[in-house]
Amino acid sequence: MNTFYAANLLIYAGIDIIACLALNLQFGVSGIVNFSFIVFQAVGAYAAAVLSLPPDTANGGFQHYVGGLQLSFPFPWIGGAIAGGLLAIPVGFVVLRKLRSDYQAIALLVLSVIANTVITNADKFLGGAAGLALVPPPFSDRIDPNSEGYQYFYVGITAVAVVIAFALVNRVVNSPYGRSLRAMREREDAAAAIGKDPVRLKMTIFIVGGVIAGLSGAILVGFIQIWAPSVWLYPETIILFAAIIVGGRGNNIGAILGALLVPVGFEEVTRLLNNNPNIANLGPPNLISALQWVAIGLLILGFLWFRPQGVRPEPRRVFEGGPD
Amino acid sequence: MSSALTAQTDKPMLVATDIHRHFEGMRAVDGVSLEVSPGKITGLIGPNGAGKSTFMAVLAGTLPATSGTIVFEGDDITHLPAYQRARRRLVRTFQLPSEFAQLTVLENLLVAAPNNRGDSLFGALMGKRYWVDDEHRLIDEARGLLKRFGMSAKESDYAGTMSGGQKRLIEIMRALMLHPRLLLLDEPMSGVHPKIVEEIQFYLQDLRAGGLTILMVEHELHMVERLCDTVVVMAQGKVIGSGTMASLRKQPEIVDAYLVG
Repeated sequence: MNTFYAANLLIYAGIDIIACLALNLQFGVSGIVNFSFIVFQAVGAYAAAVLSLPPDTANGGFQHYVGGLQLSFPFPWIGGAIAGGLLAIPVGFVVLRKLRSDYQAIALLVLSVIANTVITNADKFLGGAAGLALVPPPFSDRIDPNSEGYQYFYVGITAVAVVIAFALVNRVVNSPYGRSLRAMREREDAAAAIGKDPVRLKMTIFIVGGVIAGLSGAILVGFIQIWAPSVWLYPETIILFAAIIVGGRGNNIGAILGALLVPVGFEEVTRLLNNNPNIANLGPPNLISALQWVAIGLLILGFLWFRPQGVRPEPRRVFEGGPD
Repeated sequence: MSSALTAQTDKPMLVATDIHRHFEGMRAVDGVSLEVSPGKITGLIGPNGAGKSTFMAVLAGTLPATSGTIVFEGDDITHLPAYQRARRRLVRTFQLPSEFAQLTVLENLLVAAPNNRGDSLFGALMGKRYWVDDEHRLIDEARGLLKRFGMSAKESDYAGTMSGGQKRLIEIMRALMLHPRLLLLDEPMSGVHPKIVEEIQFYLQDLRAGGLTILMVEHELHMVERLCDTVVVMAQGKVIGSGTMASLRKQPEIVDAYLVG
């Protein structure tokens, strides 16, 4: 396995882990079915891109976008995280206050489709359908991004982000506040009857999840150096949901396992199958890619049917000094 | 001084005036007025569909009133949402079990406790050392309740695996963790094994002896007679009478409406 492939895999794993930790906090712990999760990753990526890119008059003006502040690391990552959190405020305000949870899920799914369509067709805003290219990676003025050393470096800074995200999310989930979130997930009216403000709890976690999702997008765009509407279509959210369901709802270790098994492992295996000419040439073109989606759907159904609690179920909290 | 104090304590804890709750033209609660005296158990009885549970939900803020006013301890709470009423220690239980199924029995109690420094995003992010003292204090308090209600052995079991009667007890204990001033109980004996009915009755008497004020919807009239100081009868969304059970039994229109048999 060459260095570039290994680094690629590790960085994607890190980004997917961060995204799954955020989605687990929202969906697994708090019961918010955020079907627009990928939009928050996307806004983080766009924000980081336009913060690190030069003005769009550079490079011969072949692409058009707002911003172009040419900020150095870590500001694009911070900006990406803030953008994810800021987007969550109006979205949460509209969706989370009045709608019942099943309608929230539908509204968020529709939002994901609308957001993608708007960005695709707004040519001058964020590059339209063509998206943004030549996004400068962090420290690219000091280390050659095409060198082997840079791959290790990017793995390192991604790993630091993973550790920070895990530590913060773990603190929230395993605290009395996390207990209130789980109570709200179980029964919202009963949680309100014991003094919990469900709207405030949901808004807070929606914003926190948006911040973490935005960070994951910023890390991703810094690595792949391009970003376009075609990489954040709504089915990408379904893959992350599959990861949480497979890994185990409400369990942070489960979220990490799910990220490694589904977006990294499962997708990588099907991609490798597609690279094998003997398999790729079976049937019509793109058959394997289409079957990949079928397989993801079957994976979700299979787990919901046979092991709804996932590989690592939510832990039962047993306190010292009580019975077993 | 003494008479002033007496006057103060004799003031009703909760005054609901001309409460209406309509569902698309259907008048589930149709001009109900009711007062709850402190330190007493007030019973709310009536046939199915009388509007008792809807009225309780309106008092607790789970449903907004279409019109009318609710004054609790001197403050108008008519427009306060449910969670703010609970924070004022006006606490309800539900007609159907409403335990947090995937939380343990002990967690169901702990989650209701106010004044835990870890029960905010800031407190959670500060880490365990910031809130562990509160947690230990509340665990002790919750274990005290579990012991009093005979459920210590169940503290680490998921609440969703408990029997119907145990779920009722969990709900009552959960409400008690908020140190309620007024406890609204919606059919606490419904679907409960007779042995646990006796236990719940004992606990409610015990709570009243401790000074807790209770408003209770209940169908089991013998239980109401034994527990309640005052009984209010509802039918078709209206109050049709109130008093002690003995006095209500002497009113033919109430006997006809509800107490036959």
